[in-house]
Amino acid sequence: MANTLRLYLTCIRNTLDAAMCLQNFPCQEVERHDKPEVELKTCPELLLNPVIICRNEAEKCLIETSINSLRVSIKVRQADELEDILTKKFLRFLSMRAEAFQVLRRKPVQGYDISFLITNYHCEDMQKHKLIDFIVQFMEDIEKEISELKMSMSTRGRLVATEFLKQFV
Amino acid sequence: MAVVATHQFAQCITCHVWSPDQTMVAFCPNNNEVHIYKLIQDKWERAHVLQKHDQLISAIDWSSRTNKIVTASHDRNSYVWNQEGAEWLPTLVILRLNRAALCVKWSSAENKFAVGSGAKTVCVCYYEKDNDWWVSKLIRKKHSSSVTSVAWHPDNILLATTSTDGKCRIFSTFIKGVDTRDSGTSIPDSKFGEQIVQLDLSSTWAFGVKWSPSGNTLAYTGQSSMVYFVDDIGPSPVAQSVAFRDLPLRDVLFISERMVVAVGYDCNPMVFTADERGIWSFVRFLDERKLAPSGSKYGSQFTEAFGKFYGQSKQMGSDTVDPTRARGGAHENCITCILPLRSEGVTVVKRFSTSGLDGRIVVWELDSD
Repeated sequence: MANTLRLYLTCIRNTLDAAMCLQNFPCQEVERHDKPEVELKTCPELLLNPVIICRNEAEKCLIETSINSLRVSIKVRQADELEDILTKKFLRFLSMRAEAFQVLRRKPVQGYDISFLITNYHCEDMQKHKLIDFIVQFMEDIEKEISELKMSMSTRGRLVATEFLKQFV
Repeated sequence: MAVVATHQFAQCITCHVWSPDQTMVAFCPNNNEVHIYKLIQDKWERAHVLQKHDQLISAIDWSSRTNKIVTASHDRNSYVWNQEGAEWLPTLVILRLNRAALCVKWSSAENKFAVGSGAKTVCVCYYEKDNDWWVSKLIRKKHSSSVTSVAWHPDNILLATTSTDGKCRIFSTFIKGVDTRDSGTSIPDSKFGEQIVQLDLSSTWAFGVKWSPSGNTLAYTGQSSMVYFVDDIGPSPVAQSVAFRDLPLRDVLFISERMVVAVGYDCNPMVFTADERGIWSFVRFLDERKLAPSGSKYGSQFTEAFGKFYGQSKQMGSDTVDPTRARGGAHENCITCILPLRSEGVTVVKRFSTSGLDGRIVVWELDSD
């Protein structure tokens, strides 16, 4: 299990490394503006083919690249309803605080749980390999975090149930 | 081949250019200013700051004979700067653009310059004595996307452009009253803006077009990690595409007719050479810092399997840096600009300089072999 996860993450890391070749590029449509082309999608020649990396049906990663921006969208595994709720709540909590993460997008792309938007300005300010490390680390941690939440949730549930049922003994 | 000097001038440098005598360097620190540094007693000190633009400056060029600086900026304007006494005085160029100017280059005779723009046009500008300003003539409706780079042929007439539509085009820029017919161009009787060749080699964006010193060969790069060499410009050009396994390139420089140094996202200049038959190939990286053995980058599954076999994992945790990309070279971010450093009276390029998004300008020297 751990090894397949590592393969998945290595694949994402290598794809991001190749995709994160961004440059400053002013908008061709609007005068004196500079916009992330991957969000605008007005000039098809400025977009590259999107890449989907799938571990299985429930876990995938979409990488969309344009000349000056890159969008990474992640779908996290949701095995049961509890995981589903936990993931939604947890990622929403993070998305609401998107400014603190700089590269986090406020709203995920449709069909995915969380999205990152990396522009050429991020690549100028930050080191590229650290940015990639951050995303890969994030993906690794999110899995751990969700299963930990699930564990503590069921522990708590058991505890509450025991306490509650004690009155009937 | 080695690094001669490294200067950390700013946080981030978009482009740089040397003065004709190479005692001064002008660069844009990723904002709307041009900083000119001067070498005073072995120390680089800031001599001038050129402030006139109000958006990011995308390109600078310094003419070697006439000592003029031309700047192009995302604010759609271009200025020609003249040194008068201790001051640099700007003259506005009427570009007639409605989008950002992306690249600028003086022609070989330095009586014209070309500006590539996000408006899918190229402006060729020349000085009009009667009105005392720089006027521009536009090459319209030829490009279907932004013009990323321009290069002048040594004959002062032909202009090569690359664009984000992946094509490289060559135009004639003959302007009546500025150029004379006997300037020895290989394509006679061409009108202004006439397209000589359109090269459709790259499937994605093309950058960094350059002519070889003689003007016989043209080189440019594509985002798909390719570099293209074109000989015999004219009705039947001969093209070569060289693919390599590393990240895409942004700019190239002809050291000689048979040797090219290219820079890009790998933060490490690459050398390409042509053999006796004129076949170009990748030779090596200039900055020797690759520590990990090659091959491990692509054999990730393989090494993973071996790791399993020996009961250990090759990559522990994700905080470990990708082992195939060693850090700590001359540049730590994408290199965007490479320029030759020509000494007086010497035709062979011995030294060149590179600048990148890490804010460094690095001077390299070639071995004399």
